Amino acid sequence: MSNGPAVLNETIHQSVRLRIMTLLVSQPEEARIAYRFIQGTLDLTGGNLTIHLRKLRDAGYVTIIKEFQDDKPSTWVQATPLGRGAYSEYLTNLEEVLGGVAFGGAG
Amino acid sequence: MSGSDGGEAVLTPQEGWESIHGTMHRARSLMYLAGSSRILLLWGGLTPLMYLAEYWLQTGGSDLAEESPWVRAPIFGVLVVAGIIGSGFIGKRAGLRNATKEVSRAIGIRVFCFWTAVTVAAWLIPGAAGMWNPESGPQVHHVAIGIVTLGFVLFGTMTNFVLAGVGVGIAAAYYVPNYLAGDAALVYSALATMMVVVAGALLIRKSGAE
Repeated sequence: MSNGPAVLNETIHQSVRLRIMTLLVSQPEEARIAYRFIQGTLDLTGGNLTIHLRKLRDAGYVTIIKEFQDDKPSTWVQATPLGRGAYSEYLTNLEEVLGGVAFGGAG
Repeated sequence: MSGSDGGEAVLTPQEGWESIHGTMHRARSLMYLAGSSRILLLWGGLTPLMYLAEYWLQTGGSDLAEESPWVRAPIFGVLVVAGIIGSGFIGKRAGLRNATKEVSRAIGIRVFCFWTAVTVAAWLIPGAAGMWNPESGPQVHHVAIGIVTLGFVLFGTMTNFVLAGVGVGIAAAYYVPNYLAGDAALVYSALATMMVVVAGALLIRKSGAE
């Protein structure tokens, strides 16, 4: 990290993408989360979620896996190590931007 | 819904921080509630059956209950075990639709242990209080319902307040008829419990959980 002022990662620092990444990164590393669970949890339309997932995938932060489960197609999303690293750095920078107040008070 | 499709909502750092907390809380709650509306409906069917069985033992089957007071144990035992197995099955399937095994299993084990502890407590605490005898046996429900209510309130406080409300509703559906409706109290309790649980299941679904 540089010694200059903290810059928030623009790919992550967006309302929907931040929530997607938070949901994914808060799970164990190997965990995959169902597309429909993300959609329901974040209260998003399918189109909106797909657009933001594509941006995260293009940045290398998530992988999108389509497979059959009980003979039904299902879509899974998983945070990549690159995405986890970027999110971790984002949190560090967010803390710096907020002056350490938010993290210190969160317990 | 959050903005237009693909819209770039402007986010301040403080909003970002709050968004992180809100998302983690909601995701955690919804994972713990996987299958909860269907599990509620299952118990909404089994609990009135238990009330009606007890009503039958106190009225039509009173001879059987007097000669063999232990008959309650297999009747309620079968219904409770069926409920536990059914709940585990529903919860496991719902959990695996949300996330891969390592996530859903860890959550499922915690939920299962919580409710198993509540169920066991509802049976053991009256026993520890010396109520497992022919005289006090029929009163065991008074204590057991209170313990189950406590379970709902605790679990609901941690996940979704609708469940806490369901717990209070279950208690009211049992205790109010018990004090007001005389001999037919358990029949009223069975009907009221069914209504409380169905309403709870609908509200849980409306809140975004399955």
